[in-house]
Amino acid sequence: MAISTAAAPRRYRSLQLGRLGRLPIVIPGFLVVWSLMVVLPLLVVVAFSFFQVKYYKVVYQPSLDAWISLFTSGRWLVAVRTLRIALTMTAIELFLAFPFGLWLAKGCRSVPLKAFIITLLTIPFFLDPSSRTIVWRAILGSGGLINSGLMHLGVINAPIEWLLYSEFAVHFGMIGSYFPTMVFPIFMIMSLIDDEYLQASADLGASPGQTLVHVIMPLAIPGVMAGIIFTLVPLMAAFVEPQMLGGGFVNLLGDSVDSALRELKYPTAAALSTVVVAILAFCLLVLILMTRKRFDFANMFTATHR
Amino acid sequence: MQGKDDDDQLRLARRDLLRGAAGLGATALLATVPGAAAMAAEERVKAYGTTTAQLKNWDLMTKSIGVTVDYTPTNSDIGVFMRDVMANDIGDNVDVFFFDGGTQNVLGPQGAYAEIDEKNPELTLWDRTPDAWKRSDLVRFDGKQYGIPVIGNGDCFGYFPEKIGANPNGQDDVSWSVFFEDDRTKGRVAIDRSWLQSLSETANYLNETGKQKIEDVADMPGPVAAKVVDYLVERKKAGQFRTIFTAFEEQVQLLGNKEIDLINCWEPATKEANLKLGPNATIYAFTVEGYYKWLIEATIPVQAAKRANIDTVYKFLNYMLGGEYRAYQAKERGYAGPNMDLGVKYAQDHNWPKEDVELLQYTQTKVDRKYKKPFFCKTTPVHASEMEEEWQRFLNA
Repeated sequence: MAISTAAAPRRYRSLQLGRLGRLPIVIPGFLVVWSLMVVLPLLVVVAFSFFQVKYYKVVYQPSLDAWISLFTSGRWLVAVRTLRIALTMTAIELFLAFPFGLWLAKGCRSVPLKAFIITLLTIPFFLDPSSRTIVWRAILGSGGLINSGLMHLGVINAPIEWLLYSEFAVHFGMIGSYFPTMVFPIFMIMSLIDDEYLQASADLGASPGQTLVHVIMPLAIPGVMAGIIFTLVPLMAAFVEPQMLGGGFVNLLGDSVDSALRELKYPTAAALSTVVVAILAFCLLVLILMTRKRFDFANMFTATHR
Repeated sequence: MQGKDDDDQLRLARRDLLRGAAGLGATALLATVPGAAAMAAEERVKAYGTTTAQLKNWDLMTKSIGVTVDYTPTNSDIGVFMRDVMANDIGDNVDVFFFDGGTQNVLGPQGAYAEIDEKNPELTLWDRTPDAWKRSDLVRFDGKQYGIPVIGNGDCFGYFPEKIGANPNGQDDVSWSVFFEDDRTKGRVAIDRSWLQSLSETANYLNETGKQKIEDVADMPGPVAAKVVDYLVERKKAGQFRTIFTAFEEQVQLLGNKEIDLINCWEPATKEANLKLGPNATIYAFTVEGYYKWLIEATIPVQAAKRANIDTVYKFLNYMLGGEYRAYQAKERGYAGPNMDLGVKYAQDHNWPKEDVELLQYTQTKVDRKYKKPFFCKTTPVHASEMEEEWQRFLNA
């Protein structure tokens, strides 16, 4: 009796939501709002890439100058480099976040410790990216903590120069920044996996490795996909770490867009932004095609509720 | 006609109308508030511009002439400045701009800058200011006076003398070759991300050493800039540069941490670094081939020319031509400017130590020495777009 009393308001809400979903205005309304807020600005950006700037002023005449300059100025190389680094970093984060997320969701039994770790993971969101990143200069620099320590211990005779102002430094600086965006979705999806599935797998004689491969990983795909998207997308626009730790040698699309905007070259910035969106759309398409047999995007966070 | 259109575009923004209405309401309201008249009488100006045009302590000025300044600093990024003036209408809220001379070539004809009223009674030091400063092309355009010269210098690079075997007194001319080509400094050079400065300094080096023939190192057509960038890319790939920096604070940090041996920075960065490292630890060079010669001008936004505090603005600008500002700028940043004799007199009248007075005299001598060599910068070169495109090749190499 108590159960039916508690279930009644839930059923009522569910009914209301179901009715809302059937209202003829919902889908067109969403499409209109989304088009105005997201798609239209995107189209304006694309359109802007076909204008040109002369002596700090935009000339509203159709032109391919901005697109041609992407190739003549070597900015296309930046797109390739950005994609390479973004994919590498996403893979690194996934490699680190998957076991960590699994441990946090299923291995860590202490609730206070779990809460503490989750709080720690949110720290990168508290700090301004520049403040967070600049600290590494004092640690990785030729007179920094690591080099000084190693020299003091006699491990090296001269500072290791590539620790700072290199691709290594940029990758290193990005690990902390983008770890939470990968680990949270994975942790969430792992938490939703019913422990009984794991127990059943063990009862049927599966080793921990077999349970991981045949039970956990398939069920975790939605979280992994979400993590990849939430990590890859901002990485494509990263500019703080490359600028502060790359020393100008790791120019990424974010820097290039910033540089174009600083010179009031809006068409060039628009063309670069279009490239970013195109690359992301392509990556997403590849992701969908690769996982279409195992995973439905529409059910990203409902897979474990079947 | 083009200029008229631009003028209209700048002045007749729709939000100006709204602002005007709001301003009327606010004025009416203000009249009813006790003490509002006293606040309005306060001599205050709002300034926006290059960090180093500031006095380190503006209270000195307030004590001297009774004017208070709210200064919003920016770096010397021409794009950011142009965007703030042209697109963001920052002149709506600011009374004076401080930026590298040359922006008036674009912003003057567009109607963003008011012409300087040379007869304003507050501008008492204008007539005695030497023509070499006040009639420079860096503060005028098309026969019109848009700017007041504030400070000037010849930029080159700072270095640790022991790293290049240079005379520690810093008085010898050092070749830019130590910056670009010396094996002793390989991998220990920091170069400014600003193409305006780094590209033209490289071009000047190549031109003066006869490696390339360049007609105008400060304003290069695409193919000419491309050759200069080819050279820079070759040097970058050879490992000459340790880092490509962006901000003044970064200059100070790179020198202060000894992360690099040479940097084409601003002179104040070496002074700031020496505060940490000790006197003359870093030296701002005299060079063989020349300098990026610049001056910072003060300009008045066209909106400010119509405001009630315009006389205070001129009083503020007059202060920039006077002895106190000149003395402190020379002492704290090593910058010269018009009427240095007033700076020296100020220092003597205020019983500054003898070495400080000599430093002011030396600052003038130093800038005179630098100004004898090439080249004057161009803040808004005609070929800016092509130069920036080529510069991207260097960044992306």
